[in-house]
Parts: sequence; structure tokens; C-alpha cells
Amino acid sequence: MKIAVIGWELPPAFSGGLGVHTINLFGRLAGKIFIDIYVPRMRRLGSSYPFRVIPVEIDRGIQGTPYDIEGFPDFRAAVDDYNLKVLEKFSPDGVALVHCHDWITFEAGCMIKEKYGIPLVVTFHSTERDRSGNFNPQQSIMEIEKKGAMAADRIIAVSKFTKDEVVRDYGIDPEKITVIHNGVDTEHYTRLPREYGLLNRVLYLGRVTTQKGPRFFVESAHLVHQMVPDARFTIAGTGDQIQNIMALSRELGMEGYVEFTGFVNFRRSVEIYRTSDVFVLPAISEPFGMTVIESMILGTPAIISKTTGVGEALKNVLRTDYWDTQLMAEYIISVLKFGSLRKIMGTMGQREASGFTWDKAALETLGVYLSL
Amino acid sequence: MKELVFYFQVHQPRRIRPYRMSEIGRSHNYFWDDKNREIMQRVAEKCYIPATRLLIDSEIHASFSLSGIFLEQALEYAPDVVDVFREYFRSGLGEIMSETYYHSLSSIWSGDEFRSQVQEHRELVKRLFGIEPVTFRNTELIYSDAIANVVKGMGFRNIVTEGTDQIIEAHSPNYVYNSTSGMRLLLRNYRMSDDIAFRFSNASWSEFPLFADKYARWVSESPGDVINVFMDYETFGEHQWRETGIFKFMERLPVELGRRSVSTSTVANAAKNNTIRGTVSVKQPVSWADTDRNLNAWLGNEMQTEAFEALKGLYWHPDKKTWRTLQTSDHIYYMSVRNFADQDVHSYFNPYQSPYLAFIYYMAILEDFARSGRAL
Repeated sequence: MKIAVIGWELPPAFSGGLGVHTINLFGRLAGKIFIDIYVPRMRRLGSSYPFRVIPVEIDRGIQGTPYDIEGFPDFRAAVDDYNLKVLEKFSPDGVALVHCHDWITFEAGCMIKEKYGIPLVVTFHSTERDRSGNFNPQQSIMEIEKKGAMAADRIIAVSKFTKDEVVRDYGIDPEKITVIHNGVDTEHYTRLPREYGLLNRVLYLGRVTTQKGPRFFVESAHLVHQMVPDARFTIAGTGDQIQNIMALSRELGMEGYVEFTGFVNFRRSVEIYRTSDVFVLPAISEPFGMTVIESMILGTPAIISKTTGVGEALKNVLRTDYWDTQLMAEYIISVLKFGSLRKIMGTMGQREASGFTWDKAALETLGVYLSL
Repeated sequence: MKELVFYFQVHQPRRIRPYRMSEIGRSHNYFWDDKNREIMQRVAEKCYIPATRLLIDSEIHASFSLSGIFLEQALEYAPDVVDVFREYFRSGLGEIMSETYYHSLSSIWSGDEFRSQVQEHRELVKRLFGIEPVTFRNTELIYSDAIANVVKGMGFRNIVTEGTDQIIEAHSPNYVYNSTSGMRLLLRNYRMSDDIAFRFSNASWSEFPLFADKYARWVSESPGDVINVFMDYETFGEHQWRETGIFKFMERLPVELGRRSVSTSTVANAAKNNTIRGTVSVKQPVSWADTDRNLNAWLGNEMQTEAFEALKGLYWHPDKKTWRTLQTSDHIYYMSVRNFADQDVHSYFNPYQSPYLAFIYYMAILEDFARSGRAL
């Protein structure tokens, strides 16, 4: 079997979530099927991959030259141009199906299907509704998502949460959608048991955007602080809401109790997870929530919103509504208060999170291909 | 004549409600009345009333343990249940066994507390049914030589426990034994019990479907004097729904047993009628819970031991009734995170769907309870 993947990011040129997903999933499938992966011809693309990489030149919206792309100052123009260029460059010989990832590649998939009649699989890693935090989603992007979903022969969603959104927002037949949870690259984490002595540290780690709910974290922290004055709070990461969140923590008199680390790399994040008593993700709308699995695999208990997709598959977490900062605070206080709760949630969670493997995701993806 | 000894455990905890930390110092209502009522009434209708009626009509002998916490809720929420049991015991078919009123773990930590809870149960049974039990069964069949000695000291003649793999290596569960205390001891035959309690409706089981004639044949062909089939009473109509044919099975069973010269019996009668085949000693506590068959279902993780220690520490509290109702073992059982096979069993029974929430609610309640006690 040979498939064509329309991608966007590919490490080391990019190491966002989509790129990590692409390299892990298709790196594992490469031993079983032939894979062509189309990506923009970025300056920092690697030279050797386990699958065939077809770099695509883009003229519009880019920084650098089409043969040496450095960035995308006009993202939307670059995306539109990329999809057209993929169609031009596409070689259909022996391709059994095309697999597109998120709206930024859907149009190419639709056009290829129309032109060559090749079946289309699309993966929703998130929806426009998630990314906008339910606030003012862009209509033109939603239209592309709908078009891709309608045209697709099979859809993969990273959680049931995302599947339900696709069904609801785009009127798609649920039978067409398969939920495949992301894996975690377990070999990158030390899975040594951790200590559960009290550190009095509560962690938010992730992009500081409306979607991830950082303001609910700060509001909960404020409530926790009133009961547990010794508790300290870390906000690791940055994003377009960082100034607002800093201002909010000042307003609530939490200066000196909340530490802002700025952007953290992988190594640093591991250290931060392991020196926190509890990780909190109060996302308003989170299709999967890889940080939850990262935290758990390092043995740190997690408190997450009910609107975090991965929660549907987890037993060893505590869940609240994202807006219920009072309950979130009570859960945080409980975890800080009881060493036994930290230890059992932490150790059981570590075991549970280790079950999210890319091998499993790869096999399930292959199952979707074979169902066509 | 071979005897099939039925013993049914009947128990419903007073489940605590999702109690919020913000309520500490403000609300002293700990129990989930709506939920407890709903469950009692549902199970009464699906199991307690029709199953007991069936035992009466089909003249099936059986021993019962009815926890005090079950009986007080039955009186409150479904008094017909008490009436149908009364009718059954008056018929002479059934035996009532004794136990702790609160279905508690008191036997493993305090002889005094244990004895007073057994005494409280004795008084309730005497008042409701006019019976003084001669057989004892401890919470979830928790048993050891030491516990048996305390029980013997309270004047009981018979006791039951699990026929664990270790015990039955040397002692077939199909005979009557002496316990080291001198009481008669009957051992649960877990294979024959689980054939009904767990496997009855399992379509992938090689013996599915199980009909009364087949089961009666197994009983009659089993070596030994007694086949001790002990289980939760809720098996009938609640764990195994009516649609599985479980009631039809029970209705037919006495006929099929009779054809093979097997009778149904109670623990007390079986203990009296049969020769004693030696003495069984059990040093470490066993139980019928989970696959481990020990105390791990309740004291298997640090949350459970932390909660249990906190509970025991409140012995000084003037409100004994509430303290004891919080001793019901189910509260701590819900905090179990046992291996996945048992996890399913635990979460089936867990009203909070999470061992962590069970712990958080319970600890918040204990904190409020402790504070209210200090204020008195």
C-alpha cells in the first residue's frame, strides 16, 4: 500500500504538535506501507526520514525564498498557495489514499480527490472552535473544515470530544469518524518513580491563550492561596494572553505567589512537572491535551477541565468544569493536603499514561486505511 | 443426604454524598439520602421482594445476613422488604445470621468496638424478627483465628468464611470443619458460587447457558457433604437481571436437586447434620473480596489506610451513631484502585465513579465531623 500525506510541519524545521505527530505516526507506519509526505520546503528540513519527503515550494506569504522558506509572515496566503502547489506537484501513481492533517491541508486533499478520484482521509487535531476558545471563530476556516469533512471518506479525530464537535458543527455522520488518541513518546521521559513529599507547588504549563483557560488557573490559585498561604503557583509557557494574565494576578494580589517562567523547552518542562505537586489544565476547549499525558507520565497528578479531550480516556485524573474555579481550588487543596492522594493519583496515572503509545495510534490509523 | 447450603449477603451502605470542602463547618448532613433511597427502592423491586417471594414459594432453605445499616434503610425507604423477610423467616425455611450492625471493619482493630456493633445488630434482629442468631458471618467474610475467638466468646456456634485457594489446598470446602475457636466452620465453594453470581449470564462461558438440571447435576456429582454457595443476594435480579433467566433457574433448582437426592439447607442445619472433618486454622485475615481474598480491597493503598486511621482516631466522638455509620466498609472500598479486573467490580459499585472523589468526600466529612465533635 502506498499513501500520500499532506503535512505542514516536519521536525526539525518545526516542532509544533502537528510536526511531532507527523514524525511519530508516519515514522512507525513507514515500516508497513509506502508513504509520500508533502511539506513546505523549509530551510531547516532534515535530510533523512524513514518515509519519502516531497518538499513543496511556495511563492506567497513567505519569508525567504520558495526554495529556502524561513517563515510565514502572511500565514493565510501561504496556506492557500501551498494547497495549490501541492496539487500541481502531486504524483498520483499507485497512491491508494490521501491523508490530510487539519484545515491547512484540507483543500489540497479535496482538489486531489476531485481531480484523480483518490479516496481522502482527514485528521482533526483540533477545530477552529477550539483554537478560538469558542470566541469569534473565523468563518472562512470553518468553511474549509466543513468542506474537508464532507469530502473525506474517513475522518480521524484525536478525541471523542473533537469527534462530537465535528458531528455537531459540520453535520457529519458519526459513523465516518474514528477516534484515535495521540501517543506519547515514552522513551523521552524518565519514568522513574517520583517522590511525593509536599512541595507546595501548583503548575500551569502550556500556551497562555484564551483556549487553554489560564485565567481560571489564576482565579483558582487565588482561592487556594486563601486556604493554603504557603502554596506557590507556576505559569510555564507564553502566549497572546500573557500580559492579561500577569495583570489579573496583580489585581488579585497574587504577585509574589505566581511565578511566570516564560517559554520552557522540553528539558526544562520535565524538571518543572517533576517539581510540582499537581498540574492543572482548565482549558475551555482542548481537543486532546498532550500536556496532561506528559504530566501523568512523569508521575504528577493532573486536574483538568471536562472540556479537555484526553480526559474521556483517563480514570486517574480529577475533572471539573473549566469555569468552576471553586471546585478546582478544592481539588488542588485536597491534593496538596493529602500525600496519599498525590501518591496514588501519581503512580496510577503514570501507569495509565504509559498506555498512550504511538504504536497503538499507528495500528489504529492503519485500520482506518484498510477499511477503505 | 447431600446439602446445598445457600447463604446470601444483604447489605446496602448509607453512601456519603459528594460533600464539598466549602461545607466543612457549615453542613453536617453527610449521607446521600436521595441516592440511598433510590437504590434501596430499585433493588427492593428488582431483587429483595421477588427473590424472597420465590424462596418462600419454592421452599428453598437459605441463611441470610442482613446488615443493620441495610435493615434501617429498608424500614425507612422500603418497609415491604422487611415484611417479606419476616414472612420467610417465620416459614422456618431460613436462618438469620449475626454480624456487625454497620458492616464495618471493626473486627480487625478493636474487640470492644466489634462486640458492641454485633450486640447492636443482635438487638435489632431480635426486635424485628424475634430471632437470636447462632451463626456468625463477618463483613465480607473477613476471618482469622483471632476473629473467630472473639466471635466464639460472644456465644455463637457457627461461622463462615471464604474457601481461599490456600485453605482448600488441604481442606475441601465441601465438608464441615471446626475452627480453632471450637465453632463449626463452613467454607465458601467459590467455583460453584461464582457459576451463579458471576458467570450465569456470561455468553462466552463454555457452560453457558446454565440451566437448573446441569447445576443440580454438578452439585450431586461433587464429592463431599455440603456445597456452600455464598453470594450477594443482589445477584438475583440486580447483578443478573431477570431477563437472564436467573429467577426461572432458582425456581426450577429445588426440583432438579430433589431428583438427585440433594436438599437445600442453612448453615446452622448443615453444621448440625454433618460430621466434622478436622480443624482449619487461618492465621492471616482472609475475605471473599476481589481476587486477592484478603483485606486489600479496603486497606490496599495509602488513601485507604490514611482514611481508616483518621476514622479510627475519632473514637472519642460523642456522636457514636454517625461515627459508626461512617465505619461501613463500603466507604473505604470505594477508594480502591486494585488491578483492572477488580477495578471494574469496584467501579460498578462506586457511586462516585472515582476512587479519588470517594477519598476527597470522605476526608472532608471526617474533618467536619471531628470539628463538630470538638465543639460539643
